[in-house]
Amino acid sequence: MTDKLKEIRLAGLEAFAAAETSDQLELLRQQYLGKKGLLTEILKGLGRLSPEERRQTGQLANEIKNQLAGAIESRKEELLANASLFVQPPDLTIPGTGMARGGLHPVTQMCYDLNDAFRSLNFEIFSEDEITSELYAFDHLNFPPGHPARETMDTYWIEGTESKHGAERLCLRPHLTGGSVRYLQKHGAPARFVYPGRVFRNESTDSRHERAFFQYEALIVDRDFSFSSGLLLVRTILEKVFGREIPVRMRAGFFPFVEPGFEIDMACQVCGGEGCPVCQHSGWVEVMPGGSPHPNVLRAAGLDPDVWSGFFINIGLDRLVMMRYGVDDVRLFHSADLRFLEQFR
Amino acid sequence: MKASLNWIRTYADLPADITAEQLSHDLTMRTVEVEAVTNPADLVDGIIIGRVITIRKHPQADRLVVCDVDIGEEETSQIVCGGTNLYENQLVVVAPVGASVRWHGEGQRVELAAAKVRGVVSNGMICASEELDLEDLFPPSEDEEAEIVDLTALFPDACPGQPLADVLGLGDLILDIDNKSLTNRPDLWGHYGLARELCAIYGGTLRPLPTYQKPESAADYAVSIADPSRCFRYDAVVYEGVRPEKSPFHMRRLIWSVGMRPINIIVDITNYIMLAVGQPTHAFDESHVRNGIRVRTAKEGESLELLDGRELTLLPSDLLICDGGDKAIGLAGIMGGARDSILPETRNIVFEVANFEAIGIRKTASHHRVRTEASMRFEKAIDTQRCDLALGIAQQLLSEWQPGARLVAAGAHRARETESIELPVSLQFLNVRSGCPITAEAAAAALTPLGFGVCFDGRDTLTLQVPSWRATGDVSIKDDILEEVCRMIGYENFRYTPPAITLGKAVRQLGMESDRAIREFLAYRAGLQEIFTYPWVDDSFLSITGGKTDSLVSLASPPSPDHHYLRGSLIPGLLEATVLNSRYYETYGLFEVAQVFAKGEVSLFTAEEKLPLQERRLGLALAGAEPFPLFRLLKGILSQIPRFGRVQGWSFAPVGDKMPWADRNAWLRIVSEDGTVIGSMGLLSPKATADSGVRVPCVALAELSLDQMVPLQSRDNRFEHLPLFPLVEQDLSIVVDEKISWAQVSEAVSNHVHDAEFVEEYRGEQVPEGKKSLMFRFRLSGETGTLTAEAIDQMRSRLIKKLKYTIGAEMR
Ligand SMILES: [Zn+2]
Repeated sequence: MTDKLKEIRLAGLEAFAAAETSDQLELLRQQYLGKKGLLTEILKGLGRLSPEERRQTGQLANEIKNQLAGAIESRKEELLANASLFVQPPDLTIPGTGMARGGLHPVTQMCYDLNDAFRSLNFEIFSEDEITSELYAFDHLNFPPGHPARETMDTYWIEGTESKHGAERLCLRPHLTGGSVRYLQKHGAPARFVYPGRVFRNESTDSRHERAFFQYEALIVDRDFSFSSGLLLVRTILEKVFGREIPVRMRAGFFPFVEPGFEIDMACQVCGGEGCPVCQHSGWVEVMPGGSPHPNVLRAAGLDPDVWSGFFINIGLDRLVMMRYGVDDVRLFHSADLRFLEQFR
Repeated sequence: MKASLNWIRTYADLPADITAEQLSHDLTMRTVEVEAVTNPADLVDGIIIGRVITIRKHPQADRLVVCDVDIGEEETSQIVCGGTNLYENQLVVVAPVGASVRWHGEGQRVELAAAKVRGVVSNGMICASEELDLEDLFPPSEDEEAEIVDLTALFPDACPGQPLADVLGLGDLILDIDNKSLTNRPDLWGHYGLARELCAIYGGTLRPLPTYQKPESAADYAVSIADPSRCFRYDAVVYEGVRPEKSPFHMRRLIWSVGMRPINIIVDITNYIMLAVGQPTHAFDESHVRNGIRVRTAKEGESLELLDGRELTLLPSDLLICDGGDKAIGLAGIMGGARDSILPETRNIVFEVANFEAIGIRKTASHHRVRTEASMRFEKAIDTQRCDLALGIAQQLLSEWQPGARLVAAGAHRARETESIELPVSLQFLNVRSGCPITAEAAAAALTPLGFGVCFDGRDTLTLQVPSWRATGDVSIKDDILEEVCRMIGYENFRYTPPAITLGKAVRQLGMESDRAIREFLAYRAGLQEIFTYPWVDDSFLSITGGKTDSLVSLASPPSPDHHYLRGSLIPGLLEATVLNSRYYETYGLFEVAQVFAKGEVSLFTAEEKLPLQERRLGLALAGAEPFPLFRLLKGILSQIPRFGRVQGWSFAPVGDKMPWADRNAWLRIVSEDGTVIGSMGLLSPKATADSGVRVPCVALAELSLDQMVPLQSRDNRFEHLPLFPLVEQDLSIVVDEKISWAQVSEAVSNHVHDAEFVEEYRGEQVPEGKKSLMFRFRLSGETGTLTAEAIDQMRSRLIKKLKYTIGAEMR
């Protein structure tokens, strides 16, 4: 009987080690340790033995039983440790599955990046209505009477008001700067705010020109503000937006509402300043006009130009987005075409 | 505007070795934007002079000849040519093999290869002017059919093989300057002004221009200005015995190189003067001008035929040049009349040099849509003193090139002179506003070469005399001086100083934050794509969505005739965008944040300014296959906006009229906590769906006012305690009348369950007509311990009883 028990032990241990799944192991457990298992069957003959033999054999049987049970458990652990969910390893080169669709317009994304940059410098965000009057769009901004921009050719005048003047002649705002005067009239100086928005020009469109486009204006009005501080601000902002230092240059430029006025160029990000079609081979891209608000503009805002001065920039958001992604047609921004917009998630 | 560096150099000593890049960079940084720099010699790269040695008939073609041409090499070159004006010993223009020409003046330029022309080898070609884009410089004569350029008379000393560019003197740098950047600088609309600017940049000296002298023998000529507020000065000079033939070649070349077409010596001189000093001038044929000049405004109903043949009906605000008989002979400052062109038979001329008020010229030019080189310059406001420069140049050129012409009479009416401006500017001001120390010497060094008179009081004040050419509006205040000084020092030479500003309280703008949170929720949680559409709406989408037009604001000159109205709702634009995308996608969502407009009178800043109603709205559009799931999806997104956007909540109710575009069974208004309707949502009706041509089965739309949302100070949902004992979840299916709504079911069970959630509706087999099956999931909680099976059964049957009693529900 002892020999038989030892045989069972040997066979069991071998069988368990060979088992490949926990199901097989379970069957083997039944086979060896179950109520009708081999061990139980053998122990049925225990009654025929002498008490001394019975005790010794029983002890051995117990020992074997524990040993086998332990072996099953450790084999189970072993199997689990090496288990996989796959019988056949899957093809891991197949791409991951998509996330939910949807996204912000690339212009909004750029706008938020700028907002974050300016908010960190404690600027306020301002917004204004799209329909304004000649008073704010031109008169307050030192546009001389008869300036071409005041003509129908350039500005979308509101029907019924087009032959009136000043506050009574209404239009879709041709730029944001008039709204800045409203801000200053309301809040006074010192002031520090940004003003993102859409502006409208009555002109024929092509890949570089649109009737509706986005501007981002930033204005500081303070005592004795110098434009060299302003340029530093521009550099800081561009660096935040692009995540690296962007060469910037300021050059002479004329706009009625600033004096002195500048054009601010940034190194072309498409070619890295080497020259390409986007920058018309100059290596520089005009991104924003800027300057100190013209004394007449400050006066229109109710501020004394001998006390207050400031710095103003007006970023062409479309241009900046085009730079960021290499987009070559500004009209795509208003296309509402998902095939374009979904590229900017 | 185009400018020639060679021409500029006739006025200024500039470094000889300036490169195109350097020039373009320096001028762009300091003064005006140079868009391109080109060399006219590049047009005729590789083109050389040839001398025709022999001419033979072409054996195969009547219209062709075969020439042996000396092109400066040991052997002559055989060239087949169709030119009709060839002769032996003629100096011609040869495009050898490898050079490129524009074949017959059409299409792209092509590179020449050695070729057989009707069986005869031809090594290049003898060129006509149009083949090299030189037709304005060498206009073909009208009677000659296939004329090649004949240089024999013009350049008798030219040698075969010499580059054509050298012989013609084409080597130059032509600056193409952005007109927009010149708007405020009337002084730069001529080469002399640019020469001054470049002298200031490079430190050269500017040469004086010839001065005008009225000969003693000259008679007086009658000139009168009827409206001195519109014409500040008019000088008329009468020449007799002119011969309006072709101008000397170098004059033609200069005018041509900056983009104008040479005509005859008289017209060319007027153009030359304008290009030289920016002062437009005009020459009238004296035989059409009787008894002097009179400048007056037009009479009501008066008309004038222009030089270009257009017949204008004049406005009383238009200014005219008339003769002594009061007959209109020109539109002042813009264009001459039809009958006064200078023809080859013209012998006597009246030469006009005048100064007109800028705004009037602009109004007339834009009203009649005649913008000319002259009007463009007068619109910028020119100083009256510039007339003297023009007179001086005219006198010199005429005496040089038309020795037979005599100045016989001259007259002038000088009503007003451009006044010089004296500006005191403090050094302190320049320092503070530039952020950098600027000395009096530095300021003077920047301003003097530009023509400013500079006087320093030794302490802080610079007294500046603004030159007349900058005193017509361009420079009038101390800030203008700041700009002049800084741009000449160079903005790139200023160091950047950090702003000395104090930081105030942190900026907190709840509305702005909610706006962004809502957009980010829609984009990144709800899976919608943000779009922007134009504020002007397409008439057809306006009518499909049933928009009323009487309250809409419209544009005076719309981008197109069917985009007349500005949107009063975001729905038409969203639908249009949905239709567009349905060509490529089946399921998608769009949203837009934008303003809408309606007639009204809003005066927020001044009483006179009456703006229309303007409201920021949020619009949503979903496209999909199944109507009700799409509706529920939209409703779900809308109900979560308050939570994620941190604004006060809202509810949905079918109040008021249905939106015209909505399905009559699937629309709701969005109602704020105080009961105001702030928006609407619904499914697009089958009719509107069909009309729009959208290629998806269903569209759901919503629009709500952002201005009427109330942003919260902070997130406002309260924490809920976790249940003490486990909740029990069960499903229940009931059969109810069609008219029973989920809201009623939910209300009926509310006191009996922890919460209940709609699962699905079912109609069809096993459910009687007029009834529907409704399945919901509810959860029960025990107050004192885990619920026993018995307790659960009890609660469930109470629930069933309640449903039966209140809404007649049967179990399924
Ligand atoms: Zn580039």
